[in-house]
Amino acid sequence: MATPTPILAVVTEGPWQPGQPTHRHASADPEADAPATPVWLLDTTVPVPPPEPFDENPPPVRTYRTAVVALSVVLGLVLVGGGVLTGYLLRVNAAWQQHSQEWQALATQHGADLAQAQFDLESTRTELQGVRDQLATAQARITQLADEKAQLGDESAAQQQLTDYQQRVSHAAGQVATALSSCIDGQQQLITLLGNQSAWDPAQLATFKQQVNDYCAGARAANASLQAELAK
Amino acid sequence: MRLRHAGAAAGLVVLLAGCAVLPQMPPPVPTDALPTVRSTPTISPGGGQLSPDGFDAVRRMAVRIRNVGCGEISTGSGFALTPTTLVTNKHVVQDSSQLQVSTYDGHDVAVTAASTAGLADLALVRTAQNLPSAPELAAADPVRGDPVTVVGYPLGGELTVTNGHVIGTTTDPLNSNLGQVLVTDAKVEPGSSGSAALNSDGKVIGVVYAKNDAGQSFLVPVSTLRAMLGDESGFQPAPTCAG
Repeated sequence: MATPTPILAVVTEGPWQPGQPTHRHASADPEADAPATPVWLLDTTVPVPPPEPFDENPPPVRTYRTAVVALSVVLGLVLVGGGVLTGYLLRVNAAWQQHSQEWQALATQHGADLAQAQFDLESTRTELQGVRDQLATAQARITQLADEKAQLGDESAAQQQLTDYQQRVSHAAGQVATALSSCIDGQQQLITLLGNQSAWDPAQLATFKQQVNDYCAGARAANASLQAELAK
Repeated sequence: MRLRHAGAAAGLVVLLAGCAVLPQMPPPVPTDALPTVRSTPTISPGGGQLSPDGFDAVRRMAVRIRNVGCGEISTGSGFALTPTTLVTNKHVVQDSSQLQVSTYDGHDVAVTAASTAGLADLALVRTAQNLPSAPELAAADPVRGDPVTVVGYPLGGELTVTNGHVIGTTTDPLNSNLGQVLVTDAKVEPGSSGSAALNSDGKVIGVVYAKNDAGQSFLVPVSTLRAMLGDESGFQPAPTCAG
């Protein structure tokens, strides 16, 4: 019978569970390989599970160092990113400040232009009002002159009518005077002839008398025409 | 491995999202920030309402008529219907030996012929020169309450514009017009006969021909004027004082 070989086992706390390794292999980490308190198990009746086959690719174990390295890397990346971000934000901030200043300058320029335009507009309005006043005055004057011309035309037409009237009256008066003169002359001749009536042919005397009456009738007609004109 | 890839993808997404919320560089400031002018205002003469001398069409269309009769002179008003035709009242132009027409600005316009309507107190006068402006005739007669503007030469004086409203219609108190005539409260005087009565659009709605002691004016409505103008035979040469 072979000498029982002590089996160095690491007893885990708690009962053994199927699939739980009963021992650890040596590793590079001495602390990790530090054995727990070893005990000799002389009781061979204790069932020992068969050793599992050796796994050449054990699952990765995130160790503390790995975590530290990873955290360091992450921290470095964060610091670098933060620096880049800070630089970018500073650049953006400066650009926006410049942008704001340019807009302010533009607004100031436009404000000045607007003020000048408003001043020009007000000046133009004032000037326009002055022109309108002048236009209104000129229109009133044109209307007034047109009326004065029309009144003068009316007076001229009235004067022309008066002149025509006076011409007609004068003409009628002249006709009356001429007719009366002829009438009077005829009547004087007729009186003379009647004074020596026996020396004249009665027929010729009657004819002359009729001519004198016609002259006097013409005089009366001319006088009636004159009176008619005067009555107008 | 899958977790790592998923984490990397999530980190990339977070990184891109973070870049998206980062403030962007400002756009360049424009050199000129004036708004776009959609249309440039233009100065128009008011659609023919103004002449170069600033008189509006209402005044420019009015004419003064002097009736030089046989031993008397009278004046009336009128308005241009076409460039060489004007409208006035029959009683303004009849029994004349000569008609003399002048415009708002005092220019004399020679008269070539005059004709009067038989059934209304209307007359047409033809001129040798063009008249300054001619209004449009309204399509229909006005109704009670409509505004009226009368432009003419009351008392043979200055060109005057008066305003009023249409009071209603009545039969012609002078029996010189067939049908109804318009009654307004626009002030008129002797010499206003033949004046154009305009609506708010500047269109002719009637011709002034009479007034009464209450200060009301009577108009030959534009419908009658249109009817007369549509019948050339309705006009005869104006009678003269010489017979």
